[in-house]
Amino acid sequence: MGKLYHNRFYAMGTRFHALIPGIEETHAERIFYQIKMEVERIESKISRFLPDSDLSRINRLAAKKPVQMDPEMSDILNACHYCWSLTDRAFDSTLRPLMEYWKEDHEDSLNDSDFKNIIDNVGFQHLTLDESDSTVMFDNDQVELDLGGFGKGYALEKVKEMLSDASIDQAFISFGESSILAIGDHPAGDKWRIGMNNYVNPGNTVHEFRVNNGSVSTSSNFFLDDAGRLRNHRHVINPKTGKPHEPFTSVSVSAESPVLAEMLSTAFLVSSDEKINEVMNHYENLEVIRVDYEPGNAIITQF
Amino acid sequence: MSINRRKFLEMTAALAGTSIMTTTMPWFSVFNNPAPFGMGASDRIRVGIIGVGSRGRALCLNLLELENRMNMKVVAVCDNYEPHYERAIELTHGEAEAFLDYREMIDSVELDAVVIATPLHEHAHMTINCLRAGIHVYCEKAMARTLDDVKAMYDTHQETGNILLIGHQRLFNPVYLEAMDRLRKGDIGPITMLRAWWTRNTDWVFYENTGGRGTALDRQRNWRFYEEFSAGMISELGSHHFQVANWVLGNQPLSVMGSGSINHFTDGREVWDNFSLVFKYPEKIHFSYDCITSNKHNGMQFQVLGNDGTMELESNLQFEEFPEEPPSIQGLIQNIEEGENETIPIGGATWIPDTHLRLGGEYISPGYELDDTLLYLEGFINFVRAGSAPEKLTMEGYNASTWTLLAEEATKTGKEITLPDKYRI
Repeated sequence: MGKLYHNRFYAMGTRFHALIPGIEETHAERIFYQIKMEVERIESKISRFLPDSDLSRINRLAAKKPVQMDPEMSDILNACHYCWSLTDRAFDSTLRPLMEYWKEDHEDSLNDSDFKNIIDNVGFQHLTLDESDSTVMFDNDQVELDLGGFGKGYALEKVKEMLSDASIDQAFISFGESSILAIGDHPAGDKWRIGMNNYVNPGNTVHEFRVNNGSVSTSSNFFLDDAGRLRNHRHVINPKTGKPHEPFTSVSVSAESPVLAEMLSTAFLVSSDEKINEVMNHYENLEVIRVDYEPGNAIITQF
Repeated sequence: MSINRRKFLEMTAALAGTSIMTTTMPWFSVFNNPAPFGMGASDRIRVGIIGVGSRGRALCLNLLELENRMNMKVVAVCDNYEPHYERAIELTHGEAEAFLDYREMIDSVELDAVVIATPLHEHAHMTINCLRAGIHVYCEKAMARTLDDVKAMYDTHQETGNILLIGHQRLFNPVYLEAMDRLRKGDIGPITMLRAWWTRNTDWVFYENTGGRGTALDRQRNWRFYEEFSAGMISELGSHHFQVANWVLGNQPLSVMGSGSINHFTDGREVWDNFSLVFKYPEKIHFSYDCITSNKHNGMQFQVLGNDGTMELESNLQFEEFPEEPPSIQGLIQNIEEGENETIPIGGATWIPDTHLRLGGEYISPGYELDDTLLYLEGFINFVRAGSAPEKLTMEGYNASTWTLLAEEATKTGKEITLPDKYRI
């Protein structure tokens, strides 16, 4: 029995921590660096920040002509499309132009022709996936894919397979703290106890997920950094209104599949209670927590 | 450029009086204390350029930019290759006198300084003749094709008292300045190894249509391929990094071992298309260097490895070996090690780094947008005006050049090569 191996790297704009208990170090190192390479490979494929990525190529060309995709990219966009229809458009990876729009102050969007132009032209409905020849096409040049609410979960899905292939039966992986994968049980016995941070009561938790071979993903429209400063507000767009989701909300989803948890946490941030319940009926073992933050108060809804 | 320039001057001012400015890189103080000068024609520094090929053209453009803010003028240009001779006239708008022979240029034009950017084997006689004619010299790296020529250039600089600087532009790079300061302060702990590489996927042909390898025109234009004129990538690329290694360790090597071959570009070139070197330095430190022209996957880099961190000088990044784990991960580690399964408050919004972090690395210096060649030439003009330059700057060029040629010898002989006493200064 080896001791605890832990290491980290940075990818997708955040930090990735791996904790693997009871493993021999050289074995752990090989797995760790294989994981790192796989995560970097995924990032170099689906990042919109890297001009050479498959995603950037699609964003550049798909409004002009159908763009050929490899099977993996095709699977990814099909998964996004599936989740888009499953969540009744709440999960939509094409809203980047609206995020850019709302980075500036716009008091009265109703009378703004720029806004109307964007809202009329973005949305997954403007994207055509042709499975017969594995192509994607946009019907206008406003559409821009952004896999921000997908990538970390997708990476963890791959990591889960890699850990399983390597016969690693205990591991804890945190990708930016918002996407967590817990394999096997905690070495001290029982499931991993994953607490969700309480932002109005730092150091405390609003909920605890107990996870074995599963994943927890959290989406929120704000972030408090280590110094407690509010950052990154208004980056979540409600596809129904085209406007930023203004209330301070956080949604955590626990699911066996990391990528499903990732997509649903993104979608549920702007979904109605009915819709969340409806989607939950599709899957077994889903657990969903929504936290609505008010000054000094966290209102927790458990689905 | 002004904001970066201001930051740069703040940085050099802040370092004034530190050992960095007094001993490691004394040439940087020239930017806060430029030589005083008047704006009249009599105060104008008159510069000539010898060699206006690929590198010379860039240097010429830099000098023309300096004309806008320093009282200096490119008054003469020279290239013995007709198309470059024409280009030099065009670049200087016909304002500089143009020559095909540099001897004629230094005989007929009154010059304070020359910038030499000719093939390696031409550096020595040009430098020596200019220094003897009372002209200060900035010569592109490396210094010369043979150790005797390198030594003769240095000796002439000593005899005449005229300035001789070698164009290793990293010597004027603000990132390197900041890095040296951090290294001296022990930011990455004791330095235990240096690793650097320069990889490209290119046939390295500068001029097409020369009739192929071995023709007289090819030997003249693509001189980098021929042993007589060049040590290939060892002198053209490696010498930059050999200089950096000496500089980082504040020492020159004790010896160098290496090997090279031509295994891909078998077109008749005489210089290695790949090589690998190990330099031994005092205090049991090794510098491992490799170069290849048939694969570019690794790009180029210079790594300083310390027990507590790593600096990647070419990408302006510094990495910690053991960064502090966030509290939640610390808690989890403690839990596992103590055999307790407690709730760890970890889940939440995605953690994003502060702006000074870039995927785990921290920027070494914010001043990375400044052009180091331009800064070097600005320094050179200031030194010319003052009549002298820090001797350490000349020595950086000397040591880099001797070890470039010794490294070449190592790859050709397979032996561990040391510096012969007669070249020790």
